[in-house]
This record gives sequence, structure tokens and C-alpha cells, in this order.
Amino acid sequence: MKRRIFLASSIGAALTGCSPIGTALNDNPGFHRMLGSVQGLNHLLIGTRGMAREYRDADVDRNFRTNGFSTPADAAYARMVAGGFRSYRLVADGAVERPHAFTLDELQRMPQQTQITRHDCVEGWSAIGKWSGVRLGDVLDAVSPRAGARYVVFHCLDNDGQGNLYYESLDLHQARHPQTILALRLNDAPLDPDHGAPVRLRVPTQLGYKSAKWVARLEFVGSYANIMAGHGGYWEDQGYEWYAGI
Amino acid sequence: MAYSEGMAQSTRPSLPRTIYRYAVTTRVSHWLWAIAFAVLVSSGLQIFNAAPYLDASDKSDPARRVLAIDSPSQGVGTTTVLGRTFTTTGWLGWTDDGMGSKTGRAFPGWITIPAYQDLADGRRWHLFFAWIAAGCWIAWIVSAAIKGSLQEMVLRPSDLPKAWQMQLYYLKLRKEPPRHGTYNPLQKAAYTFVGFVLAPLVVLTGMALSPGIDAIASPLTVVFGGRQFARLWHFAGMMLLIGFFAVHVFQVATQGFLNQMNAMITGRFRLSERDGAGP
Repeated sequence: MKRRIFLASSIGAALTGCSPIGTALNDNPGFHRMLGSVQGLNHLLIGTRGMAREYRDADVDRNFRTNGFSTPADAAYARMVAGGFRSYRLVADGAVERPHAFTLDELQRMPQQTQITRHDCVEGWSAIGKWSGVRLGDVLDAVSPRAGARYVVFHCLDNDGQGNLYYESLDLHQARHPQTILALRLNDAPLDPDHGAPVRLRVPTQLGYKSAKWVARLEFVGSYANIMAGHGGYWEDQGYEWYAGI
Repeated sequence: MAYSEGMAQSTRPSLPRTIYRYAVTTRVSHWLWAIAFAVLVSSGLQIFNAAPYLDASDKSDPARRVLAIDSPSQGVGTTTVLGRTFTTTGWLGWTDDGMGSKTGRAFPGWITIPAYQDLADGRRWHLFFAWIAAGCWIAWIVSAAIKGSLQEMVLRPSDLPKAWQMQLYYLKLRKEPPRHGTYNPLQKAAYTFVGFVLAPLVVLTGMALSPGIDAIASPLTVVFGGRQFARLWHFAGMMLLIGFFAVHVFQVATQGFLNQMNAMITGRFRLSERDGAGP
């Protein structure tokens, strides 16, 4: 009988002890870093290989769920929407041979790719959209990254209301993946403000938070350590992995 | 059955006999696995909380929702299973937020890592301990295969008739267990199912959730019915593993708890007159 009480209490302690012990360890910076150490291994083993599955027209979610934030609240963005994005420029600069500011019209006149791919949100849900736009690789060819460029940083026309600008980054291998596109259209219509108008990134080989919306600048850098909190993206600065293939 | 050493010595002088039952790799991987399992469940529930529903489909589809945990209004938690809604306030849906108060949250803070809602950190724990669990599994399989002890554990077709006799023995409908080696046929069935079917399935369904792996090996996601379906199987696999864990702990508790614990810590197992009975 004693043994059973001992056993029951030890199982109870094991069950309820797991969360407080885990929470205490989670708040320890060294332990937290150790937990994050497998990211490199996952990146090495999975990486950006193969092609994301493409779906049929019938599979498309006509009311594609809005991920992350909805329409940016600031006045400059509202003016841009009101002006039909005529004032919009996609600036490509940094470590490139030919920096350039693309108008929306220029992007629309480049070869367009259409993909019906699944957006896998880090939260666990998925939705299928039909995306059309310019292959990021074509933009890279147009501006020609210099030898020192290792990453493209995507600066966005949005912030979280607390002064943190929204941004993301990919390495050049991920940027050149044939399905990595700067999408201009979703489900046969120009992107609406909630879905990242006028230009959003689509990276179907990684989780949805990599697919930054309202992209306005591609900055080519050797390292992203000096940008914002230095983890390579808005969500990365909040603790999410930079490599979001898993 | 608890075993009395003194009595045995007076009636059977050759007993008790102690054998070296568990190799150090088995013991270390067993306890690491136990820790990893606890962490994977707690951090997995943390991750689940970010989208507290399961769909039998590829993309999310409310029409094919199998399970949904929700808080329809302040102070109310509900759980909907196959279209039937139950009020689960305090347990599921409206629960402890891990910071001393209550909130709309699927699984309560006392069972998640970290206790408060934090998807990014839940993922860190989950992905790290997934490697620990997989590493233990591989180390155990390789060392057991090299030593030949794997053969004692894996269920063979010839064990199947004995499994029923063993069940009758457990139900006290048969006096003697059937003749068996280190592990009885029911143990072999359980270990084979958990070690070679369930554990790999939980790993594979977890991998199927990764968009990067889906791009390399999309048949993996397809065979499970798509990404949301894989998430459902991953959750179901966890429930089955918890079920196995409960039975396993019950067996250890009722078949000489201290002897079993001692064996899994030091490796030395004290035999009773029924050679090999144990969980």
C-alpha cells in the first residue's frame, strides 16, 4: 500500500514537475541557447532541396487566411494604396553590382511564374493559394550580387506598432530556389493589402513567417547581425528559428 | 508480485539469483528516453495550443475537423470531438495561463513547457528533444542488434499462440505462463509495437509536418493524408504512447517495483521462481 502511495505521488510529481522545471530552464540563457543548437543540424540535413508540392486549381482556398499582421496602419502605406501603388518602388541595394529601384510596372513586365502551393504556418494550420509573380532569382540576376553578398534582407512597409520594423532574410541559395518568388498576385487578382500588397515574398519550402509581406527593399549583405536585434528577421528576433524549413 | 527474500531462502536455497539484465546503453537510453518523452509531450501540447484543432485533411479544413478545443466566451472552455461539444472549463479551453491566472488556452500551463504560452520556445524544446529521443532509439537499436538481445524482444509469428496463453495467465485463468525467454509474448508484442511501429510513426508524422522535408520527400506527407492529417496522426501517436506509458508504469508497480527500478538503474535484476516475469 505504501509503495502504491509512493508510486502515485512520484508519477504525480513527474507529471506536474515537468512544466515548472522546464519553465525555469527555459529562462536560463545558456540552456535556451543549447536548445536552439539543433537548428544548424536541421538546416544542414534538410536545407532547401527539392520542390514544394504544387496543387490543382480546385485545391485553392478562395478566401486565403491572412497570416501574421493585417494591413499596415501607417499613413504612408495608406497613401500608397490610395495612389494605386504608383509611388511604390522595390529598392535593391547593398552588395550588388547594379542597384536598382523597380516600379510595380517593371516587375509586372518581367517573366511571371504561377504556383499553387501550400502555405504552412508555424502555428500548425495550412492553406493553399495560387501565387503569381517574379522569380527572386531573376531579380538577383538583374542586380547581380557581389562576391561578399550572402543574404538578402527583405525590408517591409510594416511595423508592429512598437517601433520594430518588419523584416526577413534568406541566404542566396534559398533566394535562388526556383519556387522562391516575389508574388504580385494571389488567386488571380492583385494582392490586397491584408495579403501583402503590392509585393510579398513566397517561400513555399519554409514556414509561412519567412514569406514576408509588403516587401519594399532587398538589401544584400554579408551578415544580418547588425540589423535590428540581429537574428535575421522580425519573428527570429522574437525567438523563432532563422531556418524555418521544419 | 512482491517477492520475499527470506522465505525464498528457506524453501529454495538456490534462490534468489541475481542476473545482469540491462546493459548500460539500455539503461541510459531508457531514462533519457523517459525525460525526452515527458518534454516532447509537454512542449508538443504547447505547440498544439497555437492552433488547437486537428483536421483530417491536407490543408486546414473546418469541415473535416476531428478535434477542436476552444473558448467560446470568457470563462468557458469547450472540447469538440467529431462534432460533439463538451464543456471542459478548467481542463481544456479555459485554463491556467502559466502565470497565475486563467485564460482562453487549450491545454493548461501546468502541463506545457514553458508554462506560459510561447510557441517559439515550445518549438525549441520539441526540436531539441526530438533529436535526443531519436538518438536514444538509434543507439539502443544498434547496441541491441550487435549484442543479439534484439532477437529476444522482437515478436515472431511463433509467439502469437503463446500470447493468448500469457493473457489467460495474467487474467488468472491459467496457472502457469507459457514457456518463454527473457520477455514473455505479451511483452514482446508491446515492445515490438511501441519500438518498431509507434515510435517510428510518431517521428515520421512529425517530419511530415516540415515544409522542407515535404519538398524533399513529399510521398511521406502524402501517405499520411497531407499535412493536417499528419498532425492528427502525430497527436494520436502521442496518445497511444501515453497509453503504453500508463500500462508500463502499472506493470512495474505491480511486479516488484523496487526490483524493477533497481534493475533499470544498476542493471541487476533479482529473479523470482518464475524466471523472467516482469514488465
